[in-house]
Amino acid sequence: MDYLFLARVTREDYVVMTNLDFEWPSKVNHVPKELYTRPDLYEREIQRIFRGPEWHAIAHQCEVPGNGDFKTLTYAEMPFLVARGSDGEVRVFLNSCPHRANQVEVRCKGNTTRFNCPYHRWTFANDGRLIGCPSDDDYEPGFDRTDYPLPRVRHEMMHGIIFITFSSEVGGLPEYLGDVAPFIAQAMGGDSNLKLLGYQKVRYACNWKVYGDNDIFHPPLLHRALSMLNWQSAAGERASCPVRGHLALKAELTPPPNNGTLKDMSIIREVGNDETSSCAVILFPLFVITKHLSVINLRFASPVGPNQTEVNYAYFARCDDDEETVIHRTRQGSNLLGPVGLISMEDAAIFQRTQIGAGTPGNMVFQKGVASLGTQGQEPPFSNEVHILSRIRYYREVMGM
Amino acid sequence: MVETSIDIANYVELDRLQGRYVAALNRNDMTAWMKLFSAKPEASYVCTTREHVDEGLPLALMLDDNRNRIEDRVMYITKIWTGTFQNYRTRHIVQRISAEQDERGHYRVLSNFIVMFTNDQVGTASVLTVGEYVDVVERDDAGEFKFLSKTAILDTSVLPHYSVYPI
Repeated sequence: MDYLFLARVTREDYVVMTNLDFEWPSKVNHVPKELYTRPDLYEREIQRIFRGPEWHAIAHQCEVPGNGDFKTLTYAEMPFLVARGSDGEVRVFLNSCPHRANQVEVRCKGNTTRFNCPYHRWTFANDGRLIGCPSDDDYEPGFDRTDYPLPRVRHEMMHGIIFITFSSEVGGLPEYLGDVAPFIAQAMGGDSNLKLLGYQKVRYACNWKVYGDNDIFHPPLLHRALSMLNWQSAAGERASCPVRGHLALKAELTPPPNNGTLKDMSIIREVGNDETSSCAVILFPLFVITKHLSVINLRFASPVGPNQTEVNYAYFARCDDDEETVIHRTRQGSNLLGPVGLISMEDAAIFQRTQIGAGTPGNMVFQKGVASLGTQGQEPPFSNEVHILSRIRYYREVMGM
Repeated sequence: MVETSIDIANYVELDRLQGRYVAALNRNDMTAWMKLFSAKPEASYVCTTREHVDEGLPLALMLDDNRNRIEDRVMYITKIWTGTFQNYRTRHIVQRISAEQDERGHYRVLSNFIVMFTNDQVGTASVLTVGEYVDVVERDDAGEFKFLSKTAILDTSVLPHYSVYPI
């Protein structure tokens, strides 16, 4: 299989490639604000993280359910084409003709047996093979169509979530995800058997790390709906993967009784037979899965530039749901946890306000749960902001900082 | 559906209702916004995208499919989210495209909209969204026109900024 690999170096090489002018404070919980604003860091992040030896979730296979279905998207400023071939196999391509680089497919979604580049009429089967190119008798000597398929990108799936990488070095997904892997199925209500309900897509005027470094200390403080409803957060199982700052959390929720705050309590009711009422998986660098009450939400996020992040909140029902459950997941998904959601709209506001504040000099100081100020790892309990320090520790390693 | 043309007086009244709707949102006056919907339990406000309508996807950005949810949305904005977001004002520019009456006597009104927003603090304006309203208007018991349902279908499948207020 010929994949396109862009990560020329391994993560181990990065450690010695340090030439950035960036000073870290000695206290591990002090993080320079310029981490979130400097364009030169952004360029290196694209190279080492988004084109480097990491796995990035870009779609769920149920978004291309039928043979010939495809979806286009942009991830970290690169155009992709996710296509299920006539043979039923899901493949990921760059949405760029190998001839003169022209963008091949312009629809967001569709169904086709072939992709046609209109510029010089190169035609590709939906498995990526070049099957037509006019006048190829006059091409370079020895021209062979099999040398010019749509560029394939290495991908792996876990419970239907399609992850890509540009690295030949990074290990398989189970190894990459480590201890958080078993939580992924639970966060999707059991397994990969999902049906798409729709999206909420939004751009936040913030660096991707401001979005990604959102802590689990803030919810009862920022999200006033929780206190107004007198909704206590539940304790539960937690897993974290110390290697990359991945985090998984699981809890059983007990929605509060109606205290008169809401007129329509269905927004916090749980319907369906999911095993877990609340489970979140937060992966480095940017992917989040949230299962909360009846909402099953994959948050595909991508940097759009140093100061802009696009988040596509994708919502799902389970294929074995009855009609009432599908309607409930749709109604709850629309209003509870997205960019206009009862419990979460404030996150959107805070991302942008943090970006504005990060333009001032000095450090951010992480406090909640910081047990020591050394450089050693801290074990993150619930409801704190220490888990972000694990992410930052890994980031420093990757960036050679 | 049997559709009949409507007389000019009803056009004027439908436009007046839309004008009140625009004025309420441009002032961020959520109580005034809510009052323009029917008092019936099935009154609805939905904000979705053209992408969802075309693909038949049921999820929405805001799905207030009963009167209680419309009232809850007012509470989110005026009681829950206050103090967290950067406030902005909008200008809704609305253009009626068609209005027809169905066999139940409801008016079905299609309009285009452009919504510009100005962040209070930054002071510059940008486009928040563009799209189409699909409205079903009824005459209530007091003889006033109210929205039995209002669906805002956004062409902008990606919002360029978070949205606090309805469109």
